Amino acid sequence: MQPYQEEYIANLKEIAKLSASEKSGSRSFCVPYEEVLSDKKHLEQIVARNMELLREKLFPLLDHLFEAEPEALQELEDFAGILFDGRKERDVGLFCQIRRALLSKARQAGNRNDMIRQLYWLGMGYNSICTRLVGLDWLYIEKYMVRMRLCFMEAAAYLKYFEEIEDSDTKGYIIRSRANVALGQFKSSGEKIRLVNYTLRILQDEGYREKAPELPWDRYLYMTHQQMAASISRNKEKAMSPQDIVDIMESVYIVYEKQFEEARSQGENPPAKSSFSYDSINYYCGLDTLDGLLEKMELLIDTAHADDFSGDGIYRMVSLPAFYCNFLQDHPEKIPARTEYIDRLYERALDYAEHFPQASENEQLFFHVRQLMSTFVETDSSIPYGDFVEKLLMRFLPEDYIHSYIVGKAAAELCRIIMEEESGFFDDIESIRQIENPDKKLDAVLEYATNGSLLHDIGKISFTSLYAQSARQWFEEEYEMAHLHTLVGERNLALRPSTRKYAPIALGHHSWYDGSHGYPDSYVRLECPSRQMVDVIGLADWLDNVTDANHLYTGVQLTFEEAFKTAVSLEGKRFSPLLTARLRDNRVVRRLVRIYREERREAYHSVFLSHSP
Amino acid sequence: MDTMKKTDTQNPELTDISDLNLQLQMLKTALTQAQEANRAKSTFLSNMSHDIRTPMNAIAGMTAIALSHIDEKARVQDCLQKIQTASSHLMSLVNDVLDISRIDSDRMSLNEETFSLADLVHDITVIVRPQAVQKEHDLKIEIGQIYQEVLIGDPLRLRQILVNIIGNAIKYTPDNGEILVRLFQHRADDTADSRNQNRIFLDFTCEDNGIGMSSEFLERIFVPFERVKNAAVNKIEGTGLGMSIVKSLIDRMDGQIKVESTEGVGSSFQIRLPLSFTSQDGKNLERLTGKAVLIAESQEQQAARLIAFLQEADMIPLHVKSGLGAVTCLTQANSEHHMPCALLLGQELEDMSPLELAAHIRQSAGPDFPILLVSDVDWAQLEYRATRVGVSAFVPCPLFKSRLLSTLSDLTDTDSSHQDFSVRASTDYSGCHVLLVEDNELNQEIALEMLSLNGVDAEVADNGAHALEKFEASPEYYFDLIFMDVQMPVMNGYEATRRLRKLSRKDAEKVWVVAMTANAFVEDIRAAKDAGMNEHLSKPVSMEQLQDVLYRQLKKREKD
Repeated sequence: MQPYQEEYIANLKEIAKLSASEKSGSRSFCVPYEEVLSDKKHLEQIVARNMELLREKLFPLLDHLFEAEPEALQELEDFAGILFDGRKERDVGLFCQIRRALLSKARQAGNRNDMIRQLYWLGMGYNSICTRLVGLDWLYIEKYMVRMRLCFMEAAAYLKYFEEIEDSDTKGYIIRSRANVALGQFKSSGEKIRLVNYTLRILQDEGYREKAPELPWDRYLYMTHQQMAASISRNKEKAMSPQDIVDIMESVYIVYEKQFEEARSQGENPPAKSSFSYDSINYYCGLDTLDGLLEKMELLIDTAHADDFSGDGIYRMVSLPAFYCNFLQDHPEKIPARTEYIDRLYERALDYAEHFPQASENEQLFFHVRQLMSTFVETDSSIPYGDFVEKLLMRFLPEDYIHSYIVGKAAAELCRIIMEEESGFFDDIESIRQIENPDKKLDAVLEYATNGSLLHDIGKISFTSLYAQSARQWFEEEYEMAHLHTLVGERNLALRPSTRKYAPIALGHHSWYDGSHGYPDSYVRLECPSRQMVDVIGLADWLDNVTDANHLYTGVQLTFEEAFKTAVSLEGKRFSPLLTARLRDNRVVRRLVRIYREERREAYHSVFLSHSP
Repeated sequence: MDTMKKTDTQNPELTDISDLNLQLQMLKTALTQAQEANRAKSTFLSNMSHDIRTPMNAIAGMTAIALSHIDEKARVQDCLQKIQTASSHLMSLVNDVLDISRIDSDRMSLNEETFSLADLVHDITVIVRPQAVQKEHDLKIEIGQIYQEVLIGDPLRLRQILVNIIGNAIKYTPDNGEILVRLFQHRADDTADSRNQNRIFLDFTCEDNGIGMSSEFLERIFVPFERVKNAAVNKIEGTGLGMSIVKSLIDRMDGQIKVESTEGVGSSFQIRLPLSFTSQDGKNLERLTGKAVLIAESQEQQAARLIAFLQEADMIPLHVKSGLGAVTCLTQANSEHHMPCALLLGQELEDMSPLELAAHIRQSAGPDFPILLVSDVDWAQLEYRATRVGVSAFVPCPLFKSRLLSTLSDLTDTDSSHQDFSVRASTDYSGCHVLLVEDNELNQEIALEMLSLNGVDAEVADNGAHALEKFEASPEYYFDLIFMDVQMPVMNGYEATRRLRKLSRKDAEKVWVVAMTANAFVEDIRAAKDAGMNEHLSKPVSMEQLQDVLYRQLKKREKD
């Protein structure tokens, strides 16, 4: 590799170490604020250096890729291989950028083997991005899933020329691409099962096996059965046809038997994943009742150890509870008898996540945490959903938690100022309008502003690698993907009674007042009764983003003076004139600046104290 | 009368009485007519005052609300949109009144002009589909057997008739209704009649599952100002003039209209109009014979239609229902060097949206492979995204064979591959001046090749300073578009653009500058904009990105 590539990789490792959540122990807020500030400064320096490396070395190479020397191409290939090797993610965004360029080069050169390899790896990169999209509607994730699938399918289409291709690696890429076409989510579960079935037929076809005896066919076959068996956990019973269930059942039994044998020979229990697939397929085909299945799941969950941080441990502690709650969501009549158990599940999962070592590097953990968030069942006695996601935010995105906290303080201050002049300002919100007592009304508004702010960015948990571990500024497509945090947040908050009223804030806080820009399109300001509060929190969020929180990734950084001036200049466009009018008053500006400047440290300390053992 | 006159001449006294009786009778008739006319006027005034007052109330009310929220741009915008809707309703009301008045006074004349049935149906679809979407109706427009697409008649009045009928079906069908429109032709039975040699009958039917009409109302449906009276209808805007105008127009076209309806079940309108035709446009479609086309469409009926049209033109249709199937088929065809001459992307695929597939095919099949989108979605809504992902052309639905084949023919003109892309998106870029600023020779060559495939003959500058010289030496408004590399020796792209913008010539601020660089951070995009560049393309630049810029900028220049 080139020295700049090695330096970039070293910087990525340094950033992973610097992640505040990994400091000396397991607590997110167990480090003195001064140390956090110093780390943050160091992080900024590394990011700046990385940008320099990419601008001066990598981008010129991509610029002239069509005439690059073979050696430079090989080094680029190696560099990409370390950024993402199919399992360990260091910088998938940059990986995809490089792979796309290499694919263009391969297409231009008409190099079939190279094209197949680049298609496979680009598909793998896209797949990694797709795992962040748990819990979003198909409408929003389709383009990501399809983009991945098309890469794999194009590579798999060369199966027709399997005989004439001599390179074994290329043959392997073709077969793996064929199997990977079924990765990710689908419009219908039947489609996925059909694709896996087709792959299974190819993998068992002696004709293909004879043409490439050097390939690990049995391993491919077993992994594809695993893929089929795992699909049971993502599919809803009503979405599967009897034939789908039969197809899955065969794979489940094959995987279970093999794992059972392996475990028995080592005197252990089979992994929870295959046990769950086995139990659930028995339920789906009528061999067991739902209560029976839930009991078996409870057994698997209860035998988990809080200090088992292996893949099986994560599955038992986080993933199985998510599937368990998913069943309960579909059968709410089963919830009342299990409320205590559900409450305990969430407490245990939170505790587990809190103590998970080097969690920020573990994409598998994030994947399952996202599942747990999106299937959360709220009961009268359980931890409220808002508190649950707030704890996850503290754990995985502490900087964003502090940002949300500050936004809450600033938003509440702005609300207080507005209420002093116009007590009915927020009366479009029905629950506020009904309060007649002015003091109580003010309290309710401030509480709404504070809690709404704390939850406005919870969708970011789905994109932790973008926010917490990015080693450089975002690329345009990452910026676009980051926009999805509004939709993820809105969806998750809207599904739970205790957080439903905050959903419009998660959805609309990046929208523009006049609707001309901003995102997402699904937020229509005039149709939202909470629009005045969304405007307030949107403004408070923007002020903190441009002056402190986000500049590393978006490249925008303003002083407070510039920020307030810019906000006023965007009056009637980005921001409500009813709010920017207040920003013309220097006293108001001073009050807000004080919060942004001084309360961050205060916020950190208060959170730190509340989390100290 | 004749008998009476005879009698009168035989008896003079009787004649006098008869005259008186006659005069009395005439007076009575005149009185009745005057009373009827008076009643019609009263009805007219009463209806008009109500119908005019409704949108006027909306206009006045919304204006008042906008004035009281003048600082809230979003609220004012909402009010203005509502005012716009009310105004357009008011306008249609006035137009109806003028039409009925022209018909009454016999001042309505029909044009005789050549028109395309495909264009007419397309126009109608564009008008009625958004209305149907708004009420979440399932509006199907089926085209049956069509013998002649180039007809002679009054397309404006024909459109008025058909829009009125479909519009009524949309209005008088509760939300989520079903409306089926069928259009087909039949030849005259009596071929011996010389008039029928150049005549064809256009049959139009419109069926809905709306509120329907009573048998009493059906008898008066064509009387001016008559409207179904029930609670559901009271909220629906309308003058009651539409059907009267439709009937008068059909009568004048020597056509027939038949209405069947059952209250609470739905209505069915059948119209038959005789129209003349002229020989079809003799566009050269022979080059399509024997060529294969890949159809990607999961809707059975639409796919069958596409297949039939291609087969009628002696082409070879290949059909897949999924995006993954299309990719497999094209990858293998490309590998075996027998690519189909085009991809017809339908409305639906089993596994993905057609535009996602188009984006991938554009990359894998290369810049010169024609991708046609066949869709009933309004092209104006789709155009930006579709051209961006690499769709070469659009064929609107309802589908007409002539449109499909002529678009295919334009795009598959293999005699001159360079012309293919000047036809792309119906734009001719000859006469446009583009400056390519790029220091790297290979990149220059690739970019020039891509530009020439689009019919653009670009000039080249090796660095920023050279580009400035060229720009300064050119007449004002000579260059329409500049593609500017960023990292270049002597003077980089940012600096060159900054200096260019400061030049004291009229086009210095206006010429469209596009950054072409691998620097893809959001900050780089912003830096390009700060330097005065208008947009940013990431390297390696893809054909669809380039086409998108050319299409937007050079087409805009044409309009300007």
